[in-house]
Amino acid sequence: MSTDGTAARRGRDLYRRPLRKPPEGSPGYPAVSVHSLTKRYGGLTAVDDLSFSLSAGTITGFLGPNGAGKTTTLRLILGLAEPTSGEALVFGRRYEELDQPARRVGAVLESNDFHPGRSGRDHLRALALAAALPSARVGQVLELVELDAPASRRVHTYSLGMRQRLGLAAALLGDPQLLVLDEPANGLDPAGVHWLRTFLRRFAASGGTVLVSSHVLAEVAQTVDQVVIIDRGHLIASARLDELAGRGHSLEATYLQLTTRGAS
Amino acid sequence: MRAQLRSELLKQRSTRTNLGLLAAMLGLVLFVELLHGVGLATGHLDARSEQLVTFGRGEFLGVLFAALLGALSITSEIRHGTIRPTFLVTPRRGGVVAAKVAVSMLLGAGAGLAASASAAAIGAAALGLRGIDVQLDGGDYLLLVAGGAAAAALWAAIGVGIGAVVRSQVPTVVGISAWLLFVEGVLAGDALDLGVSRFAPGAAAAAISGQDPGTLLAPALGAVLLAVYAAAVTAAGWLATTRRDVV
Repeated sequence: MSTDGTAARRGRDLYRRPLRKPPEGSPGYPAVSVHSLTKRYGGLTAVDDLSFSLSAGTITGFLGPNGAGKTTTLRLILGLAEPTSGEALVFGRRYEELDQPARRVGAVLESNDFHPGRSGRDHLRALALAAALPSARVGQVLELVELDAPASRRVHTYSLGMRQRLGLAAALLGDPQLLVLDEPANGLDPAGVHWLRTFLRRFAASGGTVLVSSHVLAEVAQTVDQVVIIDRGHLIASARLDELAGRGHSLEATYLQLTTRGAS
Repeated sequence: MRAQLRSELLKQRSTRTNLGLLAAMLGLVLFVELLHGVGLATGHLDARSEQLVTFGRGEFLGVLFAALLGALSITSEIRHGTIRPTFLVTPRRGGVVAAKVAVSMLLGAGAGLAASASAAAIGAAALGLRGIDVQLDGGDYLLLVAGGAAAAALWAAIGVGIGAVVRSQVPTVVGISAWLLFVEGVLAGDALDLGVSRFAPGAAAAAISGQDPGTLLAPALGAVLLAVYAAAVTAAGWLATTRRDVV
């Protein structure tokens, strides 16, 4: 029997944390990595052998026409749907294997995921309780999205812009390192879009990673560092924004050309 | 798990839905007990078994509303989309289902208790006003009230399970109501006399509160049978929720 307790402990630790996974939070650890991800619904292939990864601290626009498979991909990344094959990892793990997911990832998939008869504050309190977050976080995120005044009102009295911000507040409760937003600019007025842009830039400037989907390039072009473009479930392009634009065409023309290629 | 329980309790408290359900339930208890207590002929009210059935309307209403409360705890989240943030925060979905079952059983027991106790009290008062002797003893009352609470708690769990499997709110609510209000009655009065009606989950719930001992199962047997139903349906709901993609 070995008397080397340290070695035994190290052995146990290795067992707990497989070798192929570097320690969480180490440099170069991708915030999101998608490997050969495929999702079929019956005969329809929504996501087809998709691979890409996002390094920490970047804002990535996830682009593609309506029905390209963006939302499905985000749902697979967030553990709400099971891939048919391949895998989607967040900080090196499947989403459902994250210890405290709310502290790592915040996500908004729909702009109206609220009970209309519940107050904005109670919506956040219920999520904070489930995530075992300090209740003080509720007031902090309400202030952050400038919703502290109407927080006690029922959500059915909120405007679309207020709902978008409440969704964002819920995503921010755990002070996450990664934000995943699905079409966050949909239905926002120009002031709302401007607010969102400013917000995302500030989030990324403080070291956060953002994955934001859109079917309109112009919405995100001023905000993102890089784009992942998909069409009919396939990866079309994954590039830094300046690389895309450097091909001598306008960004919009390039995007349109990429996503309409082969369409008939 | 404790975090999920606290979250579910807050969700249940923070809308007016449950208050509305409680008010509707108590209103119906008052209505049915007064209607029967005041309206039925003396010949239909003076026997112990008839009084048990009349007071047992509270158990039925408690069961119905507890089942709806349990079902709404999950179908309302699906309908309004809050299920997405819920599962993002707790991606091990089985824990959410377990917390919903536990909290719904707690609130369901409360609803069953309130309905059974108020039915017995209003029923006894109505009989008293008419000068009809109440034939029930302390044990009968205890069984009516405690059995009504237990039956409602188990039906609340059944409601969560059905809601988790069906997911859509309207079919869930209509299905539960149709079963309890119509199908069980048809089974009980079935012309073929198959003799299966007392094993149905609504009849098992009535058996727990000691109603109609001639036709129904013994209370303990009813409790065991209903617990088996509840376990099977919640297991189905747990499987459906953990295996299927979130809509």
